[in-house]
Amino acid sequence: MLFSSIEFLFYFLPAVMIVYFVLPTKARNLWLLLVSLFFYAWGEPRLVVLMVVSIALHYGWGLAIGASKSQKMRKLFLICSLVTGLGMLGYYKYADFAVENVNAIFGTAFPLPKIALPIGISFYTFQILSYTIDVYRGRVEAQKNPIDFGCYVSLFPQLIAGPIVRYIDVDRELKNRSTGMEDFRLGLRRFLMGLGKKVLIANQLGAFVEVFRSSGEKSVLFYWLYALVFSLHIYFDFSGYSDMAIGLGRIFGFHFPENFNYPYVSKSIQEFWRRWHMTLGGWFRDYLYIPLGGSRVGKAKWLRNVLFVWLFTGLWHGAAWNFVLWGLMFAALLLIEKWVPAIQKLPGFLRHGYVLLAVGISFVLFNAASLSQAASDIGGMFGFGHVPLVTAETLYYLRSYAGVIIVSIVGALPFVKTWALRFDGKWIEPVVMAALLLLCTASLVDGSFNPFLYFRF
Amino acid sequence: MKKTWMRYAGLVMVAALWLALAVFAWVKPADKSSDSERRPLEQFPKITGENVLSGGFSRDFADYAVDQFPMRDSFRTLNAFWNYYGLQKKDNNGIYLHDGYAAKMEYPLKPNMIDYAAARFEDLYRMYLADTDCKIHFAMVPDKSYYLAEPAGVLRMDYEAMSAALQEKLPWANFIDLTDSLSVQSYYRTDTHWSQDKILPAAEKIAESMGAKAPGGFAQAALDREFYGVYYGQAALPMAPDTLRYLTWEGMEDCEVFSYDTGKTTKIYDIDKLASRDLYDVFLSGGMAVQTITNPHAETDRELVIFRDSFGSSLAPLLVQSYAKITLIDTRYIYPKMLSEYVEFTDQDVLFLYSSLVLNSSSTLKK
Repeated sequence: MLFSSIEFLFYFLPAVMIVYFVLPTKARNLWLLLVSLFFYAWGEPRLVVLMVVSIALHYGWGLAIGASKSQKMRKLFLICSLVTGLGMLGYYKYADFAVENVNAIFGTAFPLPKIALPIGISFYTFQILSYTIDVYRGRVEAQKNPIDFGCYVSLFPQLIAGPIVRYIDVDRELKNRSTGMEDFRLGLRRFLMGLGKKVLIANQLGAFVEVFRSSGEKSVLFYWLYALVFSLHIYFDFSGYSDMAIGLGRIFGFHFPENFNYPYVSKSIQEFWRRWHMTLGGWFRDYLYIPLGGSRVGKAKWLRNVLFVWLFTGLWHGAAWNFVLWGLMFAALLLIEKWVPAIQKLPGFLRHGYVLLAVGISFVLFNAASLSQAASDIGGMFGFGHVPLVTAETLYYLRSYAGVIIVSIVGALPFVKTWALRFDGKWIEPVVMAALLLLCTASLVDGSFNPFLYFRF
Repeated sequence: MKKTWMRYAGLVMVAALWLALAVFAWVKPADKSSDSERRPLEQFPKITGENVLSGGFSRDFADYAVDQFPMRDSFRTLNAFWNYYGLQKKDNNGIYLHDGYAAKMEYPLKPNMIDYAAARFEDLYRMYLADTDCKIHFAMVPDKSYYLAEPAGVLRMDYEAMSAALQEKLPWANFIDLTDSLSVQSYYRTDTHWSQDKILPAAEKIAESMGAKAPGGFAQAALDREFYGVYYGQAALPMAPDTLRYLTWEGMEDCEVFSYDTGKTTKIYDIDKLASRDLYDVFLSGGMAVQTITNPHAETDRELVIFRDSFGSSLAPLLVQSYAKITLIDTRYIYPKMLSEYVEFTDQDVLFLYSSLVLNSSSTLKK
């Protein structure tokens, strides 16, 4: 079930909230667990069993790690948790990719398993592993209450598209939390802002991307517009969803970590990744990069660590070579930034331009259905393949989408938030919230284009 | 204190609005169909084990929730306003407005569709017409965008290439160019079709090309009910309705229309269709596979066969004066190989009359 859907906004969410606030505090986690499983089962009726099994398994591994006195046993149970968690993720997400590559390399013809990817498996697996690893490290105590643990893993606001909430971040709130009017106001406001970003901006940009894909009259300008629009699309789509998740969490008394911080103002790739999908970057830093030694090792090992992290970052996003290349492209850019300090001495606008160019090209690679399409798209941006500079079709869609492109560029800048915060608590705030609700509802009722990019991860 | 009160009063109002819409959605009885969109609306899906486990229930419920949402038409209008005037989009789901006319942006030309249509016409020619004395004519009805796209600043299909391709692929037909006999005023403002009272020049040109008597002596009548065309619903923007006018002549009342689909005999203008969702169905009772119009007052025994789409329904009555019998065939509703049961091709005039919209999406023509 998408947050940006009529069935979620007007059937599921109001019913869940009414019952939640009527119930005594003690029963609320059980309610959240039940409705979260229902939420998941709505889209994945059969695969909800996989989630229940994951919850049961890792609840057990967590208890076992916590209860073990010897370091050896603790390590053994952690390995069990890693093998089962990553094993499930590997099987469901990467089996087809592995068989495809074995067939390509060895000339074999093993049939593809064609396994359906359970929605959100990459997100909830990482959440689960952050729990067992932190129990192993002694940073948190093992959760004894299966309902609380199940609630943490399956909590519907962040279940299928993050932010990747670590157990340590919500441990206290799982046991004891409250929602005041202020939490409710801020949560609702954040949710509606996210809904607006997703429905009113990202969906429109997504429609442009569809138009580009189906066009038979591409031009150099069209390819560049595509790079720009898709970069904005993925940002508004994903950050909008994160806003909705954070807002919902706040309504239910949870404080989820931020996931985006205006990444397109970055002046280096390093800064970009401190602002883009922050919870994923933080996860890889704390659970892979640092355990491998981070930067406090020799040059060769450090290089290995960087490549490892970005290889896995790419693979986390999808089981395809374009995602691998996408991850490695960022590794290369980060290494260049490290090894060529002169880049940091360039004027700010040049550094900003370089980041936007690199990120734009990276997202063209990211969104390609295959490596050959990626090569064709990136080649098209630079005029390869006898593509005309501009066509009537390009100019038409530029004119038609200029409004939403301008709104999205402005909306990707932090000054809008600073400006909007001047109206915090003023009469205009509920007016804007109501307008957002009505406009988003109108768009959804009209059946406008409404996919969600990060569902496939 | 006052500030805090204001802060939460607004919040309560937003939450109340949300809840009110939700409760309205829960209790509102389901509508059967949408008049503006001219389609049945999704009903509450059946709950069965298989349906639930396969995910079918959740998919159908999503459609149901969208279709049955309270004040659906008003929300669709709000969305159209936002896209059209707020974001300044040139079209809303492919529908654009210009000079009070709503039209569909038909773009680009799809050569494979033109090839497919030409192949279907070639099939008909080989099956029924090649070895006869029939005189064959072809007329393409340009859609509204032929005249409207350029001034509206939207993309315009290459109609000239479409026409040239068809002429090349159908060398056995005499082409009748209707583009200079029509203008944007020939069409309804809210609908895809042409308006019968505005297409006399086109009817005259077709009659002249086929060597038939020029149609004339018409009187104009209009239906009382307002006509909201198909683009009205798709555009979801406020538009004044059209008036559906039709042309009558002396002796018209004696003409009979027989529809093989229903086995019923009706008049040329089927007033029973006044209650229909689509008022254009008044012309020859709407979409039918095979129909005949017989004219007892015809001065000759000439016959005409029209292979056509819905544009033919309002044109055919204007050609009736010159023919004792007109047979209308719509191969979107009947397999061509079955036509021998209804028509014997000998020496009739044969007219292929298709709109550019159908030609550019010709997969609806049966093989």
